Amino acid sequence: MPQRSAIEAPNPFREGLRIKQSPEPCVMVIFGATGDLTHRKLLPALYNLALEHPLPAGFSVVGFARRPYDDEIFRQQALDAINAYSRQKPVNPQVWESFASGIHYLQSNFYDPEGYEKLNNLLNMLDHERGTGGNRIFYLSTPPSQYPEIIQRLGAAGLNRNRKGWTRLIIEKPFGHDLASARELNRQVGKVFKEDQIYRIDHYLGKETVQNILVFRLANGIFEPVWNRRYVDHIQITVAEDIGIEGRGGYYEEAGAIRDMVQNHMLQLLTLVAMEPPITFEANAVRDEKVKVLHALQPLTGRDVVTNTIRAQYGPGWVGGRQVPGYLEEPGVSPTSTTETYVALKLFVDNWRWAGVPFYLRTGKHLPKRVTEIAIQFKQAPLMIFKRSEAQGQVEPNVLTLRIQPDEGISLKFGAKVPGTDMQIRSVNMDFFYGSSFVREQPEAYERLLLDCMLGDSTLFTRRDEVEAQWTFIQGILDEWQNEPPSTILTYEAGTWGPQAADEFIWRDGHRWRRP
Amino acid sequence: MAKHNSADLEVSLPWAGKQVETTEVEEQLSRLWRLAADNVRIGQNMNVRTSVLNFVICAPDAETARQASALIRDLSSTHIARLTLLIFDTRLPSAVSTWVTLRSFPIISDLMRHHFEQITVMTTGSAAYASADIIQRFLKPDLPVYLWWLNDPAESVIFSRLAGISSRVIVDSNSFFAPQQGIESLLALLQDLPGTALSDLNWGRITPWRNLVAQFFDSQEYIPYLGGVNRIEIEHAVAPLAGHIRTEQGDISPNPTRALLFAGWLKASLNWRLVDAPLSRQLDPMTGSYTWQLTRTTGPLMVSAATSDEMHGGRTGKLGYSGEATLTIRPRVQPNLRPGTLCYLRLTSDLNTTHATFTINREEDADHVLTSVELAHGTRPRRVVSLAATQKVGQLLHDELEIMGRDQLYETSLRHVFEMLS
Repeated sequence: MPQRSAIEAPNPFREGLRIKQSPEPCVMVIFGATGDLTHRKLLPALYNLALEHPLPAGFSVVGFARRPYDDEIFRQQALDAINAYSRQKPVNPQVWESFASGIHYLQSNFYDPEGYEKLNNLLNMLDHERGTGGNRIFYLSTPPSQYPEIIQRLGAAGLNRNRKGWTRLIIEKPFGHDLASARELNRQVGKVFKEDQIYRIDHYLGKETVQNILVFRLANGIFEPVWNRRYVDHIQITVAEDIGIEGRGGYYEEAGAIRDMVQNHMLQLLTLVAMEPPITFEANAVRDEKVKVLHALQPLTGRDVVTNTIRAQYGPGWVGGRQVPGYLEEPGVSPTSTTETYVALKLFVDNWRWAGVPFYLRTGKHLPKRVTEIAIQFKQAPLMIFKRSEAQGQVEPNVLTLRIQPDEGISLKFGAKVPGTDMQIRSVNMDFFYGSSFVREQPEAYERLLLDCMLGDSTLFTRRDEVEAQWTFIQGILDEWQNEPPSTILTYEAGTWGPQAADEFIWRDGHRWRRP
Repeated sequence: MAKHNSADLEVSLPWAGKQVETTEVEEQLSRLWRLAADNVRIGQNMNVRTSVLNFVICAPDAETARQASALIRDLSSTHIARLTLLIFDTRLPSAVSTWVTLRSFPIISDLMRHHFEQITVMTTGSAAYASADIIQRFLKPDLPVYLWWLNDPAESVIFSRLAGISSRVIVDSNSFFAPQQGIESLLALLQDLPGTALSDLNWGRITPWRNLVAQFFDSQEYIPYLGGVNRIEIEHAVAPLAGHIRTEQGDISPNPTRALLFAGWLKASLNWRLVDAPLSRQLDPMTGSYTWQLTRTTGPLMVSAATSDEMHGGRTGKLGYSGEATLTIRPRVQPNLRPGTLCYLRLTSDLNTTHATFTINREEDADHVLTSVELAHGTRPRRVVSLAATQKVGQLLHDELEIMGRDQLYETSLRHVFEMLS
């Protein structure tokens, strides 16, 4: 092999192939590998990548956790998880055997330096035996309170940087509990890893339909000219869940809807809708534009929070044909809890494109159905030529709806004349069903994100300044909520679209919430 | 069951819908859409209608057309606006017959259904030669026309005229009884119709193998070996019986077209050249065995940068390695595989004094292959990859319908194959 360093030439066999590059062999070390996320999401995602062979030969997984397992037990657990949660079943035995040969387990707690020394030795062995070339991904799938310890230990063991290969760190949300903790976590991570090594996951960004937002906006010349304050009346972003907290009272009590959904997923959706077109589709160019939107958000502080936010908890009710208890009756929830399960916000993006256009965000648990959508309502036609006709009052504004889940797709509502001798106008929907249209099996979000991390593409991950900008906006709301009495937390019946006050909140602007 | 009475040209194609006059096709389709809309009003199905392309399928007979029509179910995701099934027979008296129907497939349970229009056209006698003109009126405006030709692309006025109105022509070189002539026809098409793109389902069959080859050299550790590749061996499955035959299942054996396309692609990617010398090629189409001697004129371009240990800085360009090379295609008798299926690929590399092999091998398992890399200093972990020997035609077709524009790589590979066979 050549001894001199060389600038590598592109792979000539890649030309013309849909997959532009497959990742190099690497080891993924999962801290907290016996936890729920690993079983439900990570291992199934890695198996599906192996099945569809973007994963190279030699790819290895090391589970690093406290439970007294060994390689065999962990492999069996992995197989059980894949059997239960993989989108492709049944498990292909031959592919599984090949994949499983690269799965290892290391028992250690996160505080033991010896555990990291053993990890180092194991990684070196895998480099030698499986050709992983010094490439590492460290995935923090643990409670956030463990992050600082693990990161510091990785640094102390010298695992944060290699003489050969690359090292990357994936951190799950929540990234901090508030602005101060997010900044502190960034500081601690930044002491050990460079920013280009850090991949902060927001799995919404891995969804095909979320990625389609930018494609839809920027690949079609007809939309961008009207994508601004001159033509848009308001925008509604809804993330509704029909489930409750599903036994995660301990986590949810500390988080609430605003940390669980708004600070990350909903602000990400807002930035994709509101951002300027990037100059290229490279990671930093895209994220630069998203950060600009976050910086342009009109801060909500003091009385603004009171008038522009609604928070509520679900009470008992009926959802999906089942009777469900109220939030305060859920296991792990304090009967005097003031944690919100529903939030509605009105916010503004103060820039040339969006000044004066309200963005209405709402999210909640135990709403009537699970739906995530972005609805852009356009202004009424300026010339009401139908004033003196029977069509008066029938003309409705155009609405462009981006449905993220379910029924993934796009619809446009416009008015059309009803055939007949009189002038009757009816609104019709023009629908494009994305998820059912391209019936090719859609990869799960984690598959896309894990693969992107292996390829070193951080476009779909959150950057440090992005996280802090998100928290900066949310912090103002959190601070004001702390000062408000518990009586400001409203109640809504489970199975309804939220409290009455949320309807009044939007009515006073002359708008109404969509029924998704 | 289709009936074809050549005496009075009464043709019954129950699967094709209602027979109508050619001039009534659009009106009948409008009626069918209104009926479908009625279902929506009475609260039954939601209609999905998103138009992407016109799909024209040209079949040699009614039964082939019926089978192709059945395949369309797998293609609902490509949002065909209108399907035109063309059956022609020049031996019969001149006539044009048309049928229309609205095809409907559930998308999400039965609540949401995807609809598209299907027009079946049978042209006979002299009308057959005007098929391209006859079906023009049925093509939806502003949408590309994709033509799937279910015959050999023999020199045919009908074929070339249909290709002339198409944005893309789809063939399957797997059905070429004489590969060289078939490939020559395809190249002639490309030359005569520069505005028409060409797709080959057989090319789609080798795409997974191409992906696996590319994956070897995505690794920085292996890419230096690319310049040292000096031997390529490919094996394809043949039926146990000797000679150039059609099996009972209708397969041609030996059927080296897939292996030839694969070889053409490898040769093009590595920029190898045929040696113009006696005995530099040994071609035996009867057994499906081929050997070529080639020259390696370039490997990957590498720019050497001095390391800190060296005296001088600066850079020198180096165009890989040169030398001789061998490319071999061999038959392998493997009864559980259909003739033509790729079974084996090995790239052998000798770089300075270092030897490496990159292998993809399908043994007895029809659904998996084994990839392996052997280096001088050891063997890397092997990997089992799910790769079915037989891919559904519907899936291959689906992939081709997603392609816009010409497939330059396929066309280049085709030219290399022709050069290798000439």
